[in-house]
Amino acid sequence: MKSKLQNLKDEILEKINEIKSEADVKEIELRYFSRKGEISEIMHSLKDLSLELRKEFGVLANKTKKELEEAFSKVKNNFSNDENCENLDITLPGVAMKRGHLHPITIIQREVEDLFTGLGFSIISGPELESDYFNFTALNMPPLHPARDMQDTFYVTNGKDDNEELDMVMRTHTSPVQIRAMQKYGAPLKAIIPGRCFRNEATDARHEHTFYQFEGLMVGENINFSNLKNLLEIVGIKLFGPETKLRMRPKFFPFVEPGNNGEYTCFLCNGKGCKVCKQTGWLEIVGAGLIHPNVLRAGGIDPEKYSGLAFGFGLTRLAMLKYGVNDTRLFNSGDLKFLQQF
Amino acid sequence: MYISYNWLQDYIKLSPKHDYNEVANKLTYHTVEVEATKNQKDIFSKVVVGKVLEVSKHPNADKLSLVSVDIKERILKIVCGAPNVASGQMVPVALDGAILPGDFEIKTSKIRGELSEGMICAEDELGLGFEHSGIMVLNEKAKVGEDFSDYLKMDDVILEIDNKSLSNRPDLLNHYGIARELSVLLNATLKPLDKIVNGKNEIKFNEKDKFKVEVLDKEACPRYMAIKIDNIKIGPSPDWLKERLVAINQRPVNNIVDIANYVMFELGQPLHTFDAAYVDKIEVRKALNNEKVETIDKKERQLCSDDLVITNGEKIIAIAGVMGSAESQISDKSTALVLESANFSAGVVRKTAQRLSLRSEASLRYEKSLDPNLTEVALRRFVALLNEVCPDAKIIGTGVDIYSNKHVEKKIKLNYSWLTAKIGQEIPKKEALKSLRELGFICEEGDDDEIEVVVPSWRATKDIKEKEDVVEEVLRIYGYDNIKSSLPKEELSLPIDNQERLLERKIKDMLYSQFLLTEVYNYSFVGEEQLKKLNIDYFNHLKIANPLSELNSMLRQSLVPGLFSNIKNNQSKSDDLSFFEVGNVFFNLPGEYVKNVSGEKKLPYQEKRLGVILAGKNKEVFSQLKNITSNLLTWLFNLDNDVVYLNFDNHPGWADEKLVAQVSVAGKSIGWLGLGSSDVKKNLNLKMETAVLEINCNSLFSLLLEQAPFKIKEAVKYPPVTRDLSFVLPDKILYNDIKDVLISFHPLIKSVELFDTYKGNKLPSDKKSLAFHLVYQSEEKTLTSNEVDKIQKELVEKIVEKFGAQLRDF
Repeated sequence: MKSKLQNLKDEILEKINEIKSEADVKEIELRYFSRKGEISEIMHSLKDLSLELRKEFGVLANKTKKELEEAFSKVKNNFSNDENCENLDITLPGVAMKRGHLHPITIIQREVEDLFTGLGFSIISGPELESDYFNFTALNMPPLHPARDMQDTFYVTNGKDDNEELDMVMRTHTSPVQIRAMQKYGAPLKAIIPGRCFRNEATDARHEHTFYQFEGLMVGENINFSNLKNLLEIVGIKLFGPETKLRMRPKFFPFVEPGNNGEYTCFLCNGKGCKVCKQTGWLEIVGAGLIHPNVLRAGGIDPEKYSGLAFGFGLTRLAMLKYGVNDTRLFNSGDLKFLQQF
Repeated sequence: MYISYNWLQDYIKLSPKHDYNEVANKLTYHTVEVEATKNQKDIFSKVVVGKVLEVSKHPNADKLSLVSVDIKERILKIVCGAPNVASGQMVPVALDGAILPGDFEIKTSKIRGELSEGMICAEDELGLGFEHSGIMVLNEKAKVGEDFSDYLKMDDVILEIDNKSLSNRPDLLNHYGIARELSVLLNATLKPLDKIVNGKNEIKFNEKDKFKVEVLDKEACPRYMAIKIDNIKIGPSPDWLKERLVAINQRPVNNIVDIANYVMFELGQPLHTFDAAYVDKIEVRKALNNEKVETIDKKERQLCSDDLVITNGEKIIAIAGVMGSAESQISDKSTALVLESANFSAGVVRKTAQRLSLRSEASLRYEKSLDPNLTEVALRRFVALLNEVCPDAKIIGTGVDIYSNKHVEKKIKLNYSWLTAKIGQEIPKKEALKSLRELGFICEEGDDDEIEVVVPSWRATKDIKEKEDVVEEVLRIYGYDNIKSSLPKEELSLPIDNQERLLERKIKDMLYSQFLLTEVYNYSFVGEEQLKKLNIDYFNHLKIANPLSELNSMLRQSLVPGLFSNIKNNQSKSDDLSFFEVGNVFFNLPGEYVKNVSGEKKLPYQEKRLGVILAGKNKEVFSQLKNITSNLLTWLFNLDNDVVYLNFDNHPGWADEKLVAQVSVAGKSIGWLGLGSSDVKKNLNLKMETAVLEINCNSLFSLLLEQAPFKIKEAVKYPPVTRDLSFVLPDKILYNDIKDVLISFHPLIKSVELFDTYKGNKLPSDKKSLAFHLVYQSEEKTLTSNEVDKIQKELVEKIVEKFGAQLRDF
């Protein structure tokens, strides 16, 4: 027993002297000093000895164990980062760590949400699979209205019934949630609605059948066009910087009257003209207007008492502009090389 | 729609200071966006006049000739297929790099072994007509080397406006309408309509004439006008007429058709001309189901009872407002015509055009609700132009006018102060009324600040209905940019509570920052092939009625198919991949959202899900995913450990049947987790093992929100006693079974934590070992070893007895 202990001690001390790397440290630690290591094994075997022998060897074994542990810990420390700092090449790079990534649309959506919650807006949502009624009719686009052409639509069927009325669509915009929200919460109302939308169009670098929008609306007793303008100015400044200017022009959307398009000074060239803004200095970003009285009525709100403003941005478009993405398909591609950059 | 700048000037005087850019800008900032302005010359850039010097046979092709053409700069060699090419001709030559209508690019190339440095063009290749039997031979005015556009005397500027942005303005789908708008915006004088129509010939209209017209469906056809004209001579249109049409991208056909088209682009009223030889009378009725007609484009169309048709009493001669029949159209041999100038219901025309996928310039205009007063103006204008082009033409009898649904004047009353309140800024009343009047509104000022406006007939069909529409008119003419902005004045109110969104944020943050996953957004659509490969039953999926492709033909019921694609598409990029998605899935069952106001019908059930996929070298990924799941849920619920994995039989098709479990938290199942099966691996050609988690966020969120508000645990004064226990157990005994016994054995056992599992050659093959830390603690006193030993002894006995376990010694 005694010699076994002595041999082990010699062996370990020799090994400790030969330690050259952190890997060696680990190996020795595992082999000798761990819970199931050789030292523990010897200590364990003491219990098989007679009481006297156990006393004698017990002291010795404990002493040896302590010595070895001290010797090991000295060397071990040399290989730990702490001690090595003196000779460390401080120009060495840090070791790369794995990291995770949020999707760029999530990032930009949060930016927008935070801006509007700061202004006291609520954030609400609605179904992506919508009824024809909420997606079109309630938004002042009854069946056979020509404005339905502005949005190529996916119709949804249960696939079982040949004579089924096609009364379901993948929502072509977030606007149906306006109606649902007005019906549910009434006036006054101040909310934004971010979400996924769908258009039935073939995909290429500039077209996607699945994209992301957000919609804002405000219903109250005295909401007017001048308010809409101010709100859009604030949004521009928040999203694109303090020097951002807004320019508005008429644009027909069936759910607003008056309706308008909003352009902001191009934040990439500060309005001087560049490739992205096609040398105009302006970026067409927002569609907006005062909520059409028919839409208020569909939402159960009296247009004689209340008025409202509404506006919509493309989140996908914002992300493309902001991050210089030239191919809109990247957002839904699941391409690691793209996603890893965010 | 294309608008010719030259053409506009027939109706308004534009002074030289009004250049076309200013005109385009005015329209864009007050009416509708002009998408582009183009110099007409650019259409024929790199097309020049050449003189054919020599023509010889192509050595390798019977029907081709080798032609040398002088274009002044040099002499080109061109291979030409036209039979009429001959030396001495002046011809249009498209040079290398020219882009002809239809995006046809000309390139120097070898044709059957012979160099060809351009193309000698036929009329149709230049978009100037339909002639393709031979090359276009130019007249004596042509000069060698000059630009073809100069030969054509092209000096126009073309404004491009998107038709879709004019959905609400049928009055603007023509030159006169745009001119009317510009006259207001530029303060220019507009030529009155009656001067344009030029009423030299007084045409009388009656409901009845020798030429019989019968309208059977008056609702679908509020007004029908027709007139028979004899003694016409079909031939090419005069140059001025052709040039106008070519400028706006319309191919000239013949004088009659061209005049009809001209009037449509001038005034916005579609006209149709029939060969009178086929039309003794006219009947306007709904089609019968399965009735057929061959349209001008030589296609047979099958009709249904929704469609409105024009017949000659026997045969269909036109689908009303959409397209005429091939048989009854004007041909070279026609000597008399019947002209139709009618008003059809927008909805009826739209439905038919949509069903037949037949959108014509006429249907485009009818669909937007045309002014019924326009039919007469347009008819008179046609006759006036015909007299000019075909002086011998003779009207037979009187015109017919069946006007059943007369336009009723639309009046809107409003208070001017209400109008300015909507705008949020004072606009001088005088100025506003002036704009309205110039736009054709009749404005009466009443008592106080009330005004009454009568909407002009060309705006009254759909566009202007309510007082809000009048606000827009005043505002847009005044200019959106002239409005000062001001913040809304409102009372503070509490935002709507939306805890789910905050939870979603929190979960995404944990997944990407703590578990280092990458977020993806996948399509909401899946395809049959894709689901087959994953062993997922696809019979009960909701379907897209008009999908872009098979790949996108159904609505997803799970995030898993998309996540598998993410691995497949990225497996060459990394040895280990990890993605998550939060998105909606759709089921063929009634859900909570209503379809309409009555609320009887519900939309299909839609659920928000969280999906996570890990991929790596070996099946370890399953345990790794379990770690993520346990930690995510434990942290979210802020509990010690209440995440439970359960066996379940009805597991998803993509999962390995042995390595799949239901995930349960707070006693409720919220999702599942499994290893991708070897079948799936094979079917998708995956090089990696995959593990997938899918959680129902709706359930998860409601469990989280039902939780009692978080409170800290107060520290217990008395120290805990920790004991380790390790058992050797038969394989079939599950962790859940043992753990339940351990934790519920005695009230002093406060927690049970698994710290080691072992299976391997130190144990028999059908055994495993599980090792636990047990924490004993009392809130009343310090526990003694004896007390703990006693409990633990009984516990061990119970486990040994109940599970056939052996205590394993350290």
